[in-house]
Amino acid sequence: MDGFRVVRRQAPHRWIGIVVLPAALLIALAFCSLLLLIQDKSPVEAAVVLFQGGFGSLYALQDTMLKAIPIFLCSLGVSVAFRMKVWNIGAEGQFALGGVGATWAVLTFPSLPMPLMLAVMLLCAAVAGGLWGMIPGFLKLKFGLNEIISTLMLNYIGIEFMRYLVYGPWKDPGSMGFPMTAMFPEEAIFPEVLGYVHAGLLVCVAAAVVVAVFLQRTKLGFELCAAGENPRAARYARIPYGFLLVFVLTVSGALAGMAGCVEVSATFNRLQPNLCTGYGYTAIVVAWLSRLRIPSIALFSVFLAGLLVGTDNLQVDMQVPAAFGGILEGFILLCVLAGQFFYSYTFVRTGREQGGAA
Amino acid sequence: MEQMRPSSTDRGAKRAPLIRLENISKSYGPVKANRNISLEIRSGEILALLGENGAGKSTLMSILSGKSRQDSGSIFVDGELTSFRSPRDALAAGIGMVYQHFMLVEAMTVTQNLMLGQAHGILNPSAMRERVLELAARYGFEINPDAMISDLSMGERQRVEILKLLYRDCRVLILDEPTAVLTPPEIHQLFVALRRMAADGKALVFISHKMKEVLDLATEISILRRGEIVDHFLRSEVPGERELAERMIGRQMETLVEQTPAEKGEVLLELSHASCGMASDLTCSLRRGEVLAVVGVAGNGQRELVEMVTGGARPDSVKDSVRILGRNWNDFMRARMGRKSMVYIPEDRKGLATCPSLDLLDNFLLTNRNGFQNFGFLDRRHSATVTTGIMEEYQVVADGLHATAGSLSGGNLQKMVLGREFFREPSLIVAENPTQGLDIGAMEEVWRRILEARDHAGVLLVTSDLHEAMTLADTFAVMYRGRFIDVFPRSDVARVESIGLMMAGIPFDAKEAKEAVHEA
Repeated sequence: MDGFRVVRRQAPHRWIGIVVLPAALLIALAFCSLLLLIQDKSPVEAAVVLFQGGFGSLYALQDTMLKAIPIFLCSLGVSVAFRMKVWNIGAEGQFALGGVGATWAVLTFPSLPMPLMLAVMLLCAAVAGGLWGMIPGFLKLKFGLNEIISTLMLNYIGIEFMRYLVYGPWKDPGSMGFPMTAMFPEEAIFPEVLGYVHAGLLVCVAAAVVVAVFLQRTKLGFELCAAGENPRAARYARIPYGFLLVFVLTVSGALAGMAGCVEVSATFNRLQPNLCTGYGYTAIVVAWLSRLRIPSIALFSVFLAGLLVGTDNLQVDMQVPAAFGGILEGFILLCVLAGQFFYSYTFVRTGREQGGAA
Repeated sequence: MEQMRPSSTDRGAKRAPLIRLENISKSYGPVKANRNISLEIRSGEILALLGENGAGKSTLMSILSGKSRQDSGSIFVDGELTSFRSPRDALAAGIGMVYQHFMLVEAMTVTQNLMLGQAHGILNPSAMRERVLELAARYGFEINPDAMISDLSMGERQRVEILKLLYRDCRVLILDEPTAVLTPPEIHQLFVALRRMAADGKALVFISHKMKEVLDLATEISILRRGEIVDHFLRSEVPGERELAERMIGRQMETLVEQTPAEKGEVLLELSHASCGMASDLTCSLRRGEVLAVVGVAGNGQRELVEMVTGGARPDSVKDSVRILGRNWNDFMRARMGRKSMVYIPEDRKGLATCPSLDLLDNFLLTNRNGFQNFGFLDRRHSATVTTGIMEEYQVVADGLHATAGSLSGGNLQKMVLGREFFREPSLIVAENPTQGLDIGAMEEVWRRILEARDHAGVLLVTSDLHEAMTLADTFAVMYRGRFIDVFPRSDVARVESIGLMMAGIPFDAKEAKEAVHEA
């Protein structure tokens, strides 16, 4: 007689976010523990190694921050598009193009002074990434092409284009055949500002402030949010939907492009084919987990970056395969997404008569 | 239109109820949709459930038809405590529902649709066809059992829905606003059929907010307000609409909105042989100080007309077939909509006019944002003051400026939308079923505001509520199959009286009109 029934909530409970998120993370960790047990590895030990590696020391934290910087910028970018319910999953390709743009700036103007050099690099990277993001916007506007497909496909094209440049025209003659550009001059490398965390951190802060002000204070930002909430009402209110569509994809791409710039400059000091390691995809996970709130994006960027660093340690210390990091990330996303069901729904016992609101 | 008939309630002793509801309560979050509702449904009776939208009619009926479950309270069928876990259970107990939106497979015939959902073993289409014909004949339904659903009118589709229930031997038929999609002659036919069913011993529950129809058809009337049954009485106890309305709103009705002609100004909207999709060859003009009511059964091209005028769809030939505020369509739509221009009050308040999950301030800014910006930045402080002022002026009941639009009742949201749009002092107002689903208080308020707006504007009122058109219009345009059958002023009494026939596609003809009135 008794059963359970799904009932829609009128408004999410206050505590629901506090409970659901840690619960989802725990469940994801439990799944991963099972995977470790199958391989006869101690989950407890793995957990210790993972968190020690990601967050356990000053060095670990600095490593984590270094990875969190590109993830944050990419995630900030996709979150702008997601806010309008435009599904840009092309951050990875836009990131690659950003690297190309920054490298082009260095190769073209090799003798600029430091601040100007960095500014020009960031600008070129943003333009390159932005243009790469604009393409799917136009394709959707003119031909109705689904942006999920086009942004994803352009990832492959963008990355291959970047590889073509480093294997071909931009290859450093003095690299003894290795596919990489020449080392950037010192003026083109982001200086360290906090321990060995580089000035990309400042780029993140500036970008976050600009995006937050834009979304909350400007008319265009308001139009963008309204268009995401209800596209029909947006058309009713004569919000320029088509323009906004191209605009958000461009902004999204520009931010991912800036991440690419920071990465080639500070991490590799040159353009090389292993620039793209999936930050653009992790960024999507971060945007979802944080439900598009900018402070949460920062937190989750650091959290997932920490897991990435920690997984590297797992690989070394416990011979866990590198793919484990991806699996962990995937489990976390799935569990949190499944948990978000509870933001809008709840279970109610059926069968017995009962009073009170759901 | 339907004429009044003496009610058939005086039958002496009451029969035992087929269905008895006892203290039914149901909440959706903080909203108590039903509170301790007790109700008896008897065979042979037509029970009208009267109430504004949001009063809990639909919730109650979805509980009764097994679609949702009550939080507390009991349902007795033939005196036995029963609980429905699904519409299937309710159907098995003989309770069937005709929804506002029909659930028919368009690519199948009438008979095939009736067979759906009851395929147990071997089907016998010819026997089924016979039975369909027999049922249709018994209740005076004209229906061809071999017709494709897609070829049928709304009225005919509704008959198929009713036949589906009769075929399954339902004893209790619930009809949710069944007349909304019908022409007056179809309404007449439906009512004849429903009376026959009642005479046959079926119990009927008729949900409506149209008082005239309730008076015409019902033998018993229950009034729902805010989830409670506030009144229950026999049809014979209320002599007319005024008395019923008084019981419905629970207070003495204020003088209904009086329409007195306003001074006419310049032409604001001019259609000359304008076409757009289904709407074709429309010619009319609208002046300042005038309400032009476009009436007709929903789905006869009104939507296309509205979209064309408001810019949602291009007219087929742009060249001067549509002139708005003195400009042709292209020029007008290209210009920015600022003050003293056109505003649109859509029928779909939550889907189109507002963003339900944003707050009232943001929803105010949705259409007024251009007036509250400095160099691209929004002036939220100033707009908050203005929005608060509008909420006071229009008496919007809401949990403050930061309540989400979705949390407001239909009436309050509509008042908010009116206040928001009228803030820009429009010259041309396009209003689409502006009082649909509102309670009488909000309805009067909206009507009054629209009439007041004639001081500075012309109003294109597109409505399927004849009463509303009669109350507000200076000029009528009757729409049928995409065309204006006739356009005439309020003073043309003969035409005004035959609007019902025009809505069914019969053009005005003085002689015929007289005969039709006599027949009815």
